[in-house]
Amino acid sequence: MILDYFRLAVSNLFHRRLRSWLTIIGIFIGIAAVVALISLSQGMQDAIGNIFASLGSDRVLITPKGMFGPPGTESSSSRLTSADLDVVQKTKGVKEAAGFLSRILAVKYADQVKYSLVVGIPTDEGLNVFTSLGQYNIIEGRLIKKGDRLKAVVGFELTKKTGGTFKKAVEIGKTIEMGSYKFDVVGVRKPLGNSLFDTQVLIPMESLKDITGVTDELSTIHAIANTGVEPSSLAETIKKNLRRSRNLKEGNEDFSVQTSEQLRETVSSILGIVQAIIIGIAAISLLVGGIGIMNTMYTSVLERTNEIGIMKAIGAKNSDVLTIFLIESGLLGLTGGLIGVAIGAALSKTVELVAFLIWQTPLIAAHFTWWLIFGALAFSFLIGTASGLMPALQAAKMQPVRALRYE
Amino acid sequence: MITDYLKYAIDSLMHRRLRSWLTLIGIFIGIASIVALISLGQGLQKAVTVQFEQLGTDKIIVQPGGTIGAPGTGAEAAKLTDRDLKVVERTPGVKDTAEYISRIGKVESNERNIFTYVIGLPLDPKKIQMLKDTGFAQPTEGRGLREGDIKKAQIGYLLATDNNYLGKTLKVGNKIYIEGEEFEIIGVSQKVGNEQDDSEIIIPIEDAKEIFKTGDRYDFLFVQATDAKEINSVAEEIKKGIRKERSEKEGEEDFTVQTSQELLESFGSILNIITAVLIGIAAISLIVGGVGIMNTMYTSVLERTNEIGIMKAIGAKNSDIMFIFLIESGLIGLVGGIIGILLGMGLGSIAASIAAAALKTTIIQAYFPGYLIIGALAFSIVVGILSGILPAMQASRLKPVDALRYE
Repeated sequence: MILDYFRLAVSNLFHRRLRSWLTIIGIFIGIAAVVALISLSQGMQDAIGNIFASLGSDRVLITPKGMFGPPGTESSSSRLTSADLDVVQKTKGVKEAAGFLSRILAVKYADQVKYSLVVGIPTDEGLNVFTSLGQYNIIEGRLIKKGDRLKAVVGFELTKKTGGTFKKAVEIGKTIEMGSYKFDVVGVRKPLGNSLFDTQVLIPMESLKDITGVTDELSTIHAIANTGVEPSSLAETIKKNLRRSRNLKEGNEDFSVQTSEQLRETVSSILGIVQAIIIGIAAISLLVGGIGIMNTMYTSVLERTNEIGIMKAIGAKNSDVLTIFLIESGLLGLTGGLIGVAIGAALSKTVELVAFLIWQTPLIAAHFTWWLIFGALAFSFLIGTASGLMPALQAAKMQPVRALRYE
Repeated sequence: MITDYLKYAIDSLMHRRLRSWLTLIGIFIGIASIVALISLGQGLQKAVTVQFEQLGTDKIIVQPGGTIGAPGTGAEAAKLTDRDLKVVERTPGVKDTAEYISRIGKVESNERNIFTYVIGLPLDPKKIQMLKDTGFAQPTEGRGLREGDIKKAQIGYLLATDNNYLGKTLKVGNKIYIEGEEFEIIGVSQKVGNEQDDSEIIIPIEDAKEIFKTGDRYDFLFVQATDAKEINSVAEEIKKGIRKERSEKEGEEDFTVQTSQELLESFGSILNIITAVLIGIAAISLIVGGVGIMNTMYTSVLERTNEIGIMKAIGAKNSDIMFIFLIESGLIGLVGGIIGILLGMGLGSIAASIAAAALKTTIIQAYFPGYLIIGALAFSIVVGILSGILPAMQASRLKPVDALRYE
């Protein structure tokens, strides 16, 4: 029975092949655009998730408040010091804590001067807090180790042969100059796909203090929670303790305490809004495609008025006629969806490839999840049936006598 | 003759009213979304241009730092000093130079505190006048800063009108604490339209130097040239002068010299890219709408095969038939365009007022220049005619005998 319905719908679609194709085109363009955009933004979301995952999920980050720029731009007047680090280290539930200092500095290499974010990490026992971070993974050479002075680990961008930070690639064993100090390059960091990270230079904190003349300041303090301690409740405790030691009232903090999870959520919620706008605009074309299906179905109902009359005369019920037309419009949507998903996948993979060739960034990547593919197919089928509903109802409600008489 | 064609086309569109409407909807949705997006992009562009025009075409901005460096990010190594200021003032073609400090500072009042931009301005009457001419720091209440002021502050509009910032709104005569130092409020700045500017506090530069301990470091030099026509060569001279004084090579400057025109262009080009991407995505729906027109026209040709046969039999030429169908599809495009433009204008205005209210800015506004309206109209007609070409050609090539015999 249902098989007959299908056969009837398919043969009808084939009968008006050109019109069916044009209608399907209308749907698959929209589906392809939406699928490509969602897969690309999913890829970006995942890549950013990876950056934050490399921060670990058990961390609490403390920064001075009012810092609008990246760490080290030091335009804010509030500062964190070693006294604050002490308070954090003594907080119950903190396993380890350490701070780093960062500044934007002129980096000289091969007669060229470029500005980079230079991060000074501790070379005492606090170093462990950072070596365990995925962010500081090394692809060549080694990381800063305990007791190091005047050694540097450079970001991936600095080591690119072409299109990198410097005209000549920085290599292990070469020297870079900052202030009046010369640093041996001992390692290269794993690229994270974000120029802020990939242009950084890592040096021992003591060396950075020597260059800048800073005596007691920390740009960010990292605290690792003990196993079994919830980072968000630990963040509250740290906030309370810092408030007490700095003599501040609640709501008047001049520092901010965030868990790595909260940080990730902030970024992904901004990204989510941008995604929603772009996908929303792309979805307009799906609406237009749906109207195309409606149009095709109304025409189809009109052309087959006599046929509907005959079917009804020999005993077809209203629901039978309704089903026949709904299957037809649903098939239009589903076929459009299948082609659209395939084209959308090809499109976003091409974008990924081109972007990688040009910028070598893992940020632009196409990720396909099962729910995206099935969701797109289900959605296109839904659009098809929804657009076909009104024409199908019109067909179903026809009176047999009138339908037979219609010319 | 042409009116006959037109009447014929309208008749046939009216005859299949539902189908014509659905096809129209497909077009006007696309046109409406494009018109709305362009009008928002243009509005933003215009608002930015107006702000820059107020700045004047004879201004040059000198900032420390190479590529990195939003205002106030004052990197450690890169700085502008008194010596740079002297070099700039001595450069031929420079009329006046105002130096200033822009920092994020802790501001307290009513036991509440916030971190906001604090700007230190020189009190030399000539320099104040130059800044006032650009519309900067105009007081609406009280007075502006003047020579001899010590520990006086002019506060941003939002601090005086919105109690979300410092608990209570501030008035002329009130006291505030900036970085712990007491200041007397002497004026309230005019509303600018963005949150950052409207919450900033302006104080004498000597006070700013003291509280932020900047020594002889400046964050900005604001230069007025004697002749706006010579602006580019004056900027070049300033660049050369500072380079020489710091003995830096060309291309390795740790400072940036930009004319107001260059600043405007860099803003404009970013805006254009964003608008282009959004419009590109919205244009997909227009393609889908065009496919819809094609579909409707093919159906129309098919339904009127006999009619075409009769027309040809009584002497209609191929070109006549083609013309009839092209007028019909062009008409769909035109009417779709008109409705789309009206809808898009409404949509753009509503989106602009919602966004402006949500973001507390006057920068987002919808702007409908004549060329946008005419362009959109022309474009929708072209889409209509292009989509109609293939069906019209099919109709014009029908053989009269075949067409008459067709059922």
